[in-house]
Amino acid sequence: MNNINRQMAAAERVIGTTASLCPQCLRRIPAVLVAVGDDVYLEKSCPRHGRCRAIIWRGPPAYQSWAAAGQPPPADVATAGADCPRGCGLCPGHRQQTCCLLLEVTGRCNLACPVCFAAGGHGDDDPGLATIETWLEQLMAGGGPYNLLLSGGEPTLRDDLPAIIRRAHARGFPFVQLNTNGLRLAADDAYVRELAAAGLSCVFLQFDGTDDAVYEKIRGRALLAIKKAAIARCAEHRIGVVLVPTIVPTINDSHIGAIVRFALARMPAVRGVHFQPVSYFGRFPRPPADADRFTLPELMTALERQTDGQIKTGDFRPSAGRHPCCSCHANYLVAADGALKPWAGREENCCCKPPAADGAAKARTFVAKRWSAAGNSRNAAVPCPEVVTASLDAFLDAIDNRALTISAMAFQDADTVDLARVRECPLHVRHHDGRIIPFCAYYLTDRQGESLHRPRPDPERRP
Amino acid sequence: MSEQISQQNLVCVKCRVPLTLGQVTLSYMGSNFPVELYKCPRCGLVFIPEALATGKMQQVETALEDK
Repeated sequence: MNNINRQMAAAERVIGTTASLCPQCLRRIPAVLVAVGDDVYLEKSCPRHGRCRAIIWRGPPAYQSWAAAGQPPPADVATAGADCPRGCGLCPGHRQQTCCLLLEVTGRCNLACPVCFAAGGHGDDDPGLATIETWLEQLMAGGGPYNLLLSGGEPTLRDDLPAIIRRAHARGFPFVQLNTNGLRLAADDAYVRELAAAGLSCVFLQFDGTDDAVYEKIRGRALLAIKKAAIARCAEHRIGVVLVPTIVPTINDSHIGAIVRFALARMPAVRGVHFQPVSYFGRFPRPPADADRFTLPELMTALERQTDGQIKTGDFRPSAGRHPCCSCHANYLVAADGALKPWAGREENCCCKPPAADGAAKARTFVAKRWSAAGNSRNAAVPCPEVVTASLDAFLDAIDNRALTISAMAFQDADTVDLARVRECPLHVRHHDGRIIPFCAYYLTDRQGESLHRPRPDPERRP
Repeated sequence: MSEQISQQNLVCVKCRVPLTLGQVTLSYMGSNFPVELYKCPRCGLVFIPEALATGKMQQVETALEDK
């Protein structure tokens, strides 16, 4: 990295060293974190393909103070686990247990989005129910239960999705959520009823904006009416909904406040908004420039600006059980007049960090409680006669019916991947060969669309 | 202590006087919850029933602790 150091201007400071991948060949290479004012870049040089640099943090809050909220980075990240992440499944060098496990239950899709982390729309051979049952058995034997995320492709193309959910519960997985574009949920009431009866805990609904121009650009067709119908059906059948916007600069980064207002108007059916700044793996039109990226601090700042300060950057904290630069979240109670009040308590200046197992367990429990439908998540408290606890009852009722969780996850692609972050990842994917692989390591692709772990989709099979 | 025992019959061991219902504020991580619990009118000792501690209070604590 000496050459890189020499080339840096005086205003630039190296604030960390780590390991990354060459976006051309996915070879593991050393990398540095370079601060330029409030911005931070990941910079690296491949002996074969040369130097590259990508923005990973733009503006306040300051990267270093935010990052300090997490576990200290592994000192050996640049040297240990020489085959990381090519050698995944989880290895002794991985520093986090599984919180949420993603199962790809189909490769088929009924949209053809220009942006798709899963590069869906390929393959006719869904894994059979018996195969999935075997996966579930293996997962329980291997450390489960975890929160399960059924994904694809578009999982609702499977008629037997309710049966998969039933089997998951029967095998002891308490929380099952569904990644979906909502098309079938909007159109097929009987199907939604079946999903609810099977015990679907939560729908993770792709939701990119509040007007159709956004959907036409990102998803290739107008979808807003479909999204509204899907939310209404989930509400009717008491399935919690989390809106999941992919934020793409210049396309929908001005819609962030409107998405929050849309969610507030549909509480308690909508339990939260989970923003995902666009990442460039899977399917994307061209190699990304810095202007194509939208970072976590920009999202927090946009939330503050676009909600007229109702949401504040200072409300957000890194989420437990993962690298602080991968995610952020804030929880709000909504007053009768529509005002938002952050309700999560916080021990400031706490010097103790939870061990990895505790972090993953806390994150699992939190997600299950906050994203399930209202009234489904609360344990019935033992009544306490003879004492008056109305304030506790009111608070518990409020977090059940008038709480909204705003969260975000910054996925890493081949340009931005930091192996210190990968090693902290609790969101994992079950490879069809049985390996458990951190999400970003599973989905990232090189410039030619080749993945480290995932079979390349056949472009001829896309719809 | 069994929850079957009526709290109305509880006596403060230190002061030897019966507990009476009174205003108490439960505080945790910056949030305050005014409740009515049995407490000693003399020294202020508060009796928190086990069902309350392991039920609603624990739920509120968990919610405030966030993830």
